[in-house]
Order: sequence, then C-alpha cells, then structure tokens
Amino acid sequence: MNTQQSFFERNRAVILFAAIALTMPLWFPIIGGYSGLDTKIMIFCIFVVGFDLLLGYTGYLSFGHAAFFGIAAYTTGLMFKGFSDNIIPAIIVAVIVSTSVAVVIGLLTLKRTGIYFSILTLAFGEMFHSMAMAMLQQWTGGENGLTGMPTPMLFGTKMQGDAVFYFSAFMAIVMFYVAKRIERSPVGLMMRAIKCNQQRLEYTGINARKYKLLTFVISAAYAALAGAMMVVYEPFVGHEFLGWHLSGEVVLMSVIGGVGTLVGPMLGAAFMLYFENVLSADIGEHWLLYLGIIFMAVVIFMPGGFMEAMSRLKARFKQQ
Amino acid sequence: MFDLSINALFMQLLTGLQMGSIYVLIALGLTLIFGTLGVVNFAHGALYLVAIYLAVSINDAMGFGYALVLVPTILFALGLAMERGLIQYFYNRPHTDQILVTFGLAIVIQEVLKAVFGANNIPFAIPQWGNGIIMMHEWFPFLEGFVVYPKWRMILVVVSIVTVAAVFALLHLTSFGLVIRAGMRDPEMLKFLGVNINRRFMIVFGLGSLIAGIAGVFGGPVTQVSPEVGMHLLVPSFLVVVIGGMGSLGGAVLAGLLIGMAQSFTAHDINLSTIIVYLITVVVLLVRPRGLLGAKGVFE
Repeated sequence: MNTQQSFFERNRAVILFAAIALTMPLWFPIIGGYSGLDTKIMIFCIFVVGFDLLLGYTGYLSFGHAAFFGIAAYTTGLMFKGFSDNIIPAIIVAVIVSTSVAVVIGLLTLKRTGIYFSILTLAFGEMFHSMAMAMLQQWTGGENGLTGMPTPMLFGTKMQGDAVFYFSAFMAIVMFYVAKRIERSPVGLMMRAIKCNQQRLEYTGINARKYKLLTFVISAAYAALAGAMMVVYEPFVGHEFLGWHLSGEVVLMSVIGGVGTLVGPMLGAAFMLYFENVLSADIGEHWLLYLGIIFMAVVIFMPGGFMEAMSRLKARFKQQ
Repeated sequence: MFDLSINALFMQLLTGLQMGSIYVLIALGLTLIFGTLGVVNFAHGALYLVAIYLAVSINDAMGFGYALVLVPTILFALGLAMERGLIQYFYNRPHTDQILVTFGLAIVIQEVLKAVFGANNIPFAIPQWGNGIIMMHEWFPFLEGFVVYPKWRMILVVVSIVTVAAVFALLHLTSFGLVIRAGMRDPEMLKFLGVNINRRFMIVFGLGSLIAGIAGVFGGPVTQVSPEVGMHLLVPSFLVVVIGGMGSLGGAVLAGLLIGMAQSFTAHDINLSTIIVYLITVVVLLVRPRGLLGAKGVFE
C-alpha cells in the first residue's frame, strides 16, 4: 500500500475549507448573510476547532472556555489603547496572557474528570466574569465594556471590511491546518487514548496529565486567538465575552456539528451564527428556544451531530 | 469597612443563613439526584425557575396556600416525567451526554418561560402573614438597641431547616431511605437482592424536583422572578454540591451555609464578595479533592 500520500491528498479537508472560506464573500450574501457575519463565522471556526481538540479528542467538556476568549479580548483591547494599534503585538500578547491563565486553570481543574471538570471550568469562567464586572472594572469598563479603541492596523492597512475578513479567513485556514496536524501527530493519538481509557494509558507508563494539560492549553490558545480576532473585527469588548453564555454557545456549536471531527464544529458554528443572525429574523424572538430543541434532538437521537447525519446519508446512498 | 459590633455580626450571620438556605435547598435536590442516579442535572436551575413562575401565577390567581400545596406537587410530577421521559435513557451514556442533554433542556425551559412570562422581573406578592419585620432585639437580648429583620427571610430559613430535617428523616428513619442509601453505595448488589431500585431512584428524582418546588415557593420573593435566575443560582449551587462532596447531603448543608456566610461576611467589599465562592471552591478542592464530606470512592 502506498502510504506516501501527496500533500493535497492529506490535506483535502483543509483545501476544501480554504476554498469555501475564501469564496465566502461571493456567495454568502446570496443566502442572506451580511458582510461581517462571515468574519464572525471565521473567528468562531477558530474557537470551536480548538474546543473540539479538547472535547472531541480527550473527552473533557469545558464550560468555561469563554474565559480564555474574554481574557484575550480584553488584553487585545488594552493593547490597542495603551500600546499600539498594530494588531500583531496585540494578538501575540493576548494569546500569551490567556494561555498563561489557562496553564494555571488547567493545573487546578484537570485534577478532576467528567462532571467535576465541567463544573469547575464553569466556576472559573464565572469567576473571571465577576472579576471583570467588579474588581477589574477600571480596566475592563465593567458593565459598559471596553470601548474607545483606535482602528486596528496591520502595517498601514486598516483592519476593516474585506481586510479583516480575509485576515480572519487566513487565520482560520492556518489554525484548521494546525489542528489537522495535531490530530495526526503522536499527541493526537495520546488525546484519543485519554478519551478511550485514561487508566490503561497510564498503565503503559505514559504521563496522561501532561497530555491533558497540553491539550487544554492548546484549546485555550485557540480560544484566545479567536478572542483577540474578535476585537480586531469589532473594536469593542463586552463583559459577555467572558460569560457562561458564550461558553455554552461554543458547546452547542460543537455538539450540533459533531464533536471529534474538527470539521463538524465549524459547520455547527456556521449554522448557529447563521441561525442566530439571519434565520432569527424569519423565526422571531424565540429562535433560542428552537435552537435548544434542535440541540436536544441532536444529543438524544444523533450524538454525532451533522457529521453523523451526513455519513448516515452517504451510507444510505451507497446501499441503493 | 468591616464592622465588629455585635449587631453587625448578628445581621451578617442572619443574612448568611438566609442566603445559605436557598443554596442548600437547591443543592439538596442536586446532590440527592446525583448521589442516587449519578446524573448531573444542569436543568435543576430550570426546575427552580418553573417553580417560581408557577408559584407567582398560582399565588396571584388563587392565593399562597394553593401555591404552597400545588407547586411542590406539580414539580414532583414534573420530576417523575422528566426522569421517565428523558433522563432514564441517559443512564448508560457518558456523563458528558447527561450534562449536554440537561443543559439543552435548561435552555428550552428557560426560553419557554421567557416566551410565556416575558423577560422582565415579575413582582412576587408575599402573603399578608409573611409581610413585615421581626423585632430581633426582643428575641435576642444581647443585641444593642433596635434590630429588625424581614419576616419572610426568617420564614425561608425555617422552611429550609424543616426541609433538610425532613429529607434526613426520610433517608435515615424509614425503610425507603434505607434502600436508597444502600442503593447509593452499591446499586448492583441491591438488584441482586431483588430490590427494584430504579423505581425508587425515580421517586428520588421526583423528590429532588419537589425540593426545588419548595425552594421556588419560598425563595421566589427573595431571588426575584426572572428567566435569568435559574442559571444564576445553578452555578453557586453546583459549587455547593462540589464543596460539600458529591452525593453527600450533610456536605451540601454545610457547604451551603459556608458559601452563604462567606458571601454575607464579605459583602462590605464588592471585590471580595463576588469571587469568594470561587476562592473557597479552589481551596477546598486543593485540600480535599472529594469535598468536605465526600465519601471515599463515590464518583471520584
């Protein structure tokens, strides 16, 4: 068997995603999407791909990932205000700050598994939310959020409209590629082993904690990058960037799309943002209710999400 | 600043007791359901939400007496229905699936209530006999001068004490409780002995829901009646369960009071009071990963 696949064969998913993402401004308005929403979808694609590395591969369900998104967003905002309007240093510092926090939280929360982990991450997320609202108010702007940032710049280019979309799309493609590489790497294998049977993995002499922490921090870095990009896209940081609502939303996106597939959560993110911003106009104010019902139906009947639905359909077509 | 006078200390103690009471009532249901069925019910806050909206509606339409009887009864039935209709299919699925489906249910319930009652706070009229204040200095002679406390909040404290006592009595003095406690330890062995443990656990789920109903009837006037309240209370209640030790009733009571007191005694400093709950959680879990009274080997 020929195991030496060409670059294109190995990266079919990434190339397909790149093609869809980069042509998005052409076809997205036709289905009712407005410009800006496509940028947001790209940013959330980054968020959920990282989240899926944690939930889909190691099986750890975090309810506090908004913390990393929000901390990075606030850091980016403060960098814009206090340091420079160049996005590169802002994003780098934001990701570093946020992942450092993730290391500490990871060390504390990964002591426990399953439900404990979910509840603890939820608690930490809420802690940062409370801190932004009270203790750190003078920096975060509390209830009003962080405003008054200059227009973000990338070496003389204003990061607005198309520029920010293509930048986000580029980052999303790169981060998807990186995630695919992680998936195929020995670390990816460890991650799946942790999900299957952590105890058995430890019996083989492998330090599972190290890999859990690594995965947690990687997924936090993805969330942080998304948070920083969000401020580049729209120079405003609200306290809801830290709240459990956002953490929950990411969980919804990943599960509806299909966890453990990387592509699924991105589909889920696109679907949910489209549902929230475009379809909600037709459905009315109770869109979240319908989304909740869809989510429940997916969890009950199709735990693999859209991806499972697609593979089932494929199998049926092949039968006929 | 921190006030060390006897009056201030007494008031903070009372406030802590009252805040802790609500946490205890919600955490009691959570930990009962978790200890028996091993299910983390993210929809428990939503059950509380159903309870306060039902309580407000019945209270307005028929009076408080009806609310007091009907709400816990309806919630008990709702709990049974929820267990039979949804939760029972998730016993053999991963914990994350249970969290996800109850989380989804919480969203659905919250949105339905929002659609029916609106997103704003609804005033909860306290019945005549519960209105007013209690002259604390008449009861406790060591207090200096004139000290009063809202009557309703004291009633809430008493109700939660009675509820906790009732649950303890049920679990420790009846044969039903004996089977439940045995089932928490080793459900398989009980099945071998021919006990229909699933049926009893189903009733426990209903009981947990019923306690949320009691919490709603008496807590509604204190916690406000708006769709956000459910999730808002769920997070600290979860922490109460975790700090106390998953599945431990005594632990839940202890941790609920601890959290309530901590919030009350730090209330003078908004920076501290908003994060004190999380600080306590971190410290407790670092020192005692099983929680304060968590039994060894239970859902570790």
